[in-house]
Amino acid sequence: MNELSRAHIRDLMSQVLANQGRTLPDDDAADLREIGFRSLDFSELALRVEDATGEELNFDAPGLRRIATVGDVLDFLETLQRQ
Amino acid sequence: MTTGTRAGLDNRIVVGGHVSTWRELPEPVLPSPAAVLTARPADALAAARHHAGHGTELLLASAGRVDQAMRDELREAGFTVIGPEPDGGHAAPPVRARPAEPGRLWLLTSGSTGRPKRVGHTLESLTTVRGVQPARTWLCPYAPGTYAWWQVVTLSLTQPDQHLVVVDADELDEWPALAAAHRVDAASGTPTFWRRTLHRDGAALARVPLRQLTLGGEPVDQAVLDQLRELFPAARISWIYASSEVGASIVVHDGRAGFPVEWLDRRMPGRPTLSVDGEELVITSPHHGAGLDGPVRTGDRVQVVDGRVLITGRLDSDEINVGGSKVSAGLVRGVLAAHPRLAWARVTGRRAPLLGRMVVAEVVPTTSDDAPDEAELVRWCADRLPDHAVPRRIRLLPEIPVKETLKSDV
Repeated sequence: MNELSRAHIRDLMSQVLANQGRTLPDDDAADLREIGFRSLDFSELALRVEDATGEELNFDAPGLRRIATVGDVLDFLETLQRQ
Repeated sequence: MTTGTRAGLDNRIVVGGHVSTWRELPEPVLPSPAAVLTARPADALAAARHHAGHGTELLLASAGRVDQAMRDELREAGFTVIGPEPDGGHAAPPVRARPAEPGRLWLLTSGSTGRPKRVGHTLESLTTVRGVQPARTWLCPYAPGTYAWWQVVTLSLTQPDQHLVVVDADELDEWPALAAAHRVDAASGTPTFWRRTLHRDGAALARVPLRQLTLGGEPVDQAVLDQLRELFPAARISWIYASSEVGASIVVHDGRAGFPVEWLDRRMPGRPTLSVDGEELVITSPHHGAGLDGPVRTGDRVQVVDGRVLITGRLDSDEINVGGSKVSAGLVRGVLAAHPRLAWARVTGRRAPLLGRMVVAEVVPTTSDDAPDEAELVRWCADRLPDHAVPRRIRLLPEIPVKETLKSDV
């Protein structure tokens, strides 16, 4: 699988927010609710990862965990790519 | 000649650059029933005229729409299958011969659900324009044998002063030049056909002296109507809802998308009755295909917006469920199509985590050097649609895709 780096996923996340006229903070601990990153944005990010790797992500595999910060999103998508 | 089909015999026909009249077309020798599969528009017109004169049972289709399995099916159903060779000499006899049904015309539907299916008509049931018409020279860009093709052809066959300029599939991109040369002043096409023409060469289109523009065969959005109105301010611009199943059932001339909500459930003798069941358009029509009496569920989805009933797309593909919220692909498409720097849009649902599906789009910019980027289009939609309906992945295509039916599966 053509795995994306954490930095690359961060770039894509930044793009998702930029399209909404918002900015992704540098801090991985930033709270998703505070930056307005919602389920629509999360789903869009997943599609962008799929488009960049050319492979579908299997969301059934790990079960969705609690995702509250920017770091959680990046961790989750990194893990998902390795399933 | 069958009653009602004489009136147009001296109308002018331009096909393959050659000018003649219906009367001057060569007379083919056709068995009955016959399935004529042709790649040449002139052969299709000759077969139509032959049917009008002799009433032989006929199925007419362009060769590209009929595969070997369909040919075998037609021979099983008693047809002699002719073509696609230009001389018509390659005739495959029926597997089981049967008596012909006089006056019967068969259409192959577009087959949006899979294989094309046969719908029975007559020249009478396909002729929906009966009142006296102003003299016109019509463009016919449709594939032979389709419902839309028969609409233009029956008009020219049955009414005086309704001339015809036929566009071959390989001339389609250059039709405005052909139409201007032959003084075409009326043209009928799908929204995709019009968008593609506006996109390729709006200046060439503006040189065609059009007084009547008709759109049909696909959902018609306000943007394409407005663009055509800008180019042809004095012309009559109409959209028609018609299909081989229910005939021409809705005709709207006010230059607006959709039809007035007051037209629903209005019963008038000899006119179709339009109804909505759930979100589906239901039509009871005097122009039904054979065996389709009573209300026909069209499979088309409607939404009432500001007093207009908008036909947004097919029920099985128009609705996108985004995390439990329903989105009409047609309405989102209308928003994108209204962007001043977009020529075309297709909106679909794509599998996505958390939400089940997300709205995504493909678009064609008006000009490649001034194409809007994804962020601009997302903002455009976000200003006009609820969050869950905003397309999140928007792909730019260089050219409007089009099929032989002049539709683009939007």
